[in-house]
Amino acid sequence: MRATKRPASHKALRVAAKMAALSGPAPWRRGWLPALQLVRRGSKAVTRHWKAMHFQRQKLMAVTEYIAPRPAVPERCLPAKRKAEEEEEEEYGYARLLRRQVEEVFRDSRMVAVCQYNSMPGEDMVLMRHYLRKHNIEVKFVLNEIIRPVLSQSRYKNLLPLFVSRNILLVSPETKAKEMLRVLKGVPQVNLLGACIDDTILSRQGVENFAKLPSLEASQGQTLGTLALLPSQTCSTLQHGAAYLTALLDGHIHQLQAGAGKTESPAGTEPAQGSGTQ
Amino acid sequence: MGWWRLGRPVAACGGRGGPGGTRGGLWGLGGSAVPRAGLKKFVLPPDYSGITLPERPKLKFMEKMPAVPKARREPRQLRDIRGPSRVATDFTQGQYGILALGGGYLHWGHLEMIRLTIGRYMDPKNMFAIWRVPAPYKPLTKKSLGHRMGGGKGPIDRYVTAVKSGQLVVELGGRCEFEEVKPFLTQVAHKLPFLAVAVSRQSLQQMREEEEEKRRNNQNPWTFERVVTANMLGMRKYLSPYDLKLKGRYWGKFFLKHRV
Repeated sequence: MRATKRPASHKALRVAAKMAALSGPAPWRRGWLPALQLVRRGSKAVTRHWKAMHFQRQKLMAVTEYIAPRPAVPERCLPAKRKAEEEEEEEYGYARLLRRQVEEVFRDSRMVAVCQYNSMPGEDMVLMRHYLRKHNIEVKFVLNEIIRPVLSQSRYKNLLPLFVSRNILLVSPETKAKEMLRVLKGVPQVNLLGACIDDTILSRQGVENFAKLPSLEASQGQTLGTLALLPSQTCSTLQHGAAYLTALLDGHIHQLQAGAGKTESPAGTEPAQGSGTQ
Repeated sequence: MGWWRLGRPVAACGGRGGPGGTRGGLWGLGGSAVPRAGLKKFVLPPDYSGITLPERPKLKFMEKMPAVPKARREPRQLRDIRGPSRVATDFTQGQYGILALGGGYLHWGHLEMIRLTIGRYMDPKNMFAIWRVPAPYKPLTKKSLGHRMGGGKGPIDRYVTAVKSGQLVVELGGRCEFEEVKPFLTQVAHKLPFLAVAVSRQSLQQMREEEEEKRRNNQNPWTFERVVTANMLGMRKYLSPYDLKLKGRYWGKFFLKHRV
């Protein structure tokens, strides 16, 4: 069936190989090609320039383009994955050393105060450290990325919110909160955020209240004194009745001795009665 | 550090309390980070103990034509440019190289340029370079200028080397890092007649992995390969039988990197 009129030369070049397709056992399975292709038009397959594609081929290329996957929740809305960094952390011996030092500090000191540190002149810093050192308080600079993992795995988890920006730790084996606050009051660039004194986490207000308390030794002495007050009175309480009687009798003696000048006979019976009652 | 970085939304509130901790940024309650210096990483220097330099570290001189010039003029055979390469696709001795991302012919001028540029920039005591392409072997003819068509095939004008896409042109190795070598390799790569990039072993592997990943997570159910092998809609009338092998990634001498 001739639908279109084709020139004779083209017809000579083109050979329809439909016979080949029909002769096979499963014609729809085998793809077939015309035995001769149209070679007279256009350039070769490989050209220096970008050869223009047949429109059908352009359409095929457009249809078969790559489409990237689109998850329901975009990746930028999810928390960032930090897988590679965690592996790197264990490798750095320096980081491990710093972490060990932080653990030692928390173990050995009774008082650990966390302060915010703003940059201050060098000499002021030296002076502050000097005054604190006099009260046996050391100033330690810590990096958040070191201290955060240490704290999250120890029992000081509630100190984690304090370690946000630049911090310093004031550590001491004694608890001299009053002196520390006095020094820090003179340094406006260092602000106390919180402290952990004797395994008790205190806020800034708590530290101030703690400073107002008498020292541990004084309060211990006071408690002992209060407790020892009653036993110390036991002896006098027990002897109170006898002592009172003795005092009354002594008074009576003095009375009678005052009147003894008048009569000498009751003086002989008094010492006998006094010795009987005792 | 400018004002625009403060407004940058950072979705890292979940990472704040994690064991990784905060890295080099001040985290406020707002959530945006101001960059800050963190702990210095004392990285060990790279270990070059297993690397031996050959006697002649610089690139060998390539002859303009083979010692025995070809007597017979050869047909054009542009299929030595077309499609992916099957030789010199992987690294042998070196760690860095220039990868061809298209097909083309390298003649003596190109090879001299490569040799001299690399020889000028590399350090012969610590680096070595080797050729991954042969010396020019394919004769190209050219008719003299200004004559009409006809009169037979022209005489042999020059010799060239055919390079297909995916082939390494030169390889570099030794006691050096990719960042040292990359500038002059890219300089050379830009001057080649086809698209080329400077690669290292890792970057080449990464490139291949990305390609593989793209192929796997392509959401388009219609791929060129599928359409061609099943001859959907009679598409093979407009395609070449080579497209069965090339699968739409190659067109002439060009390599279409963005296609899956």
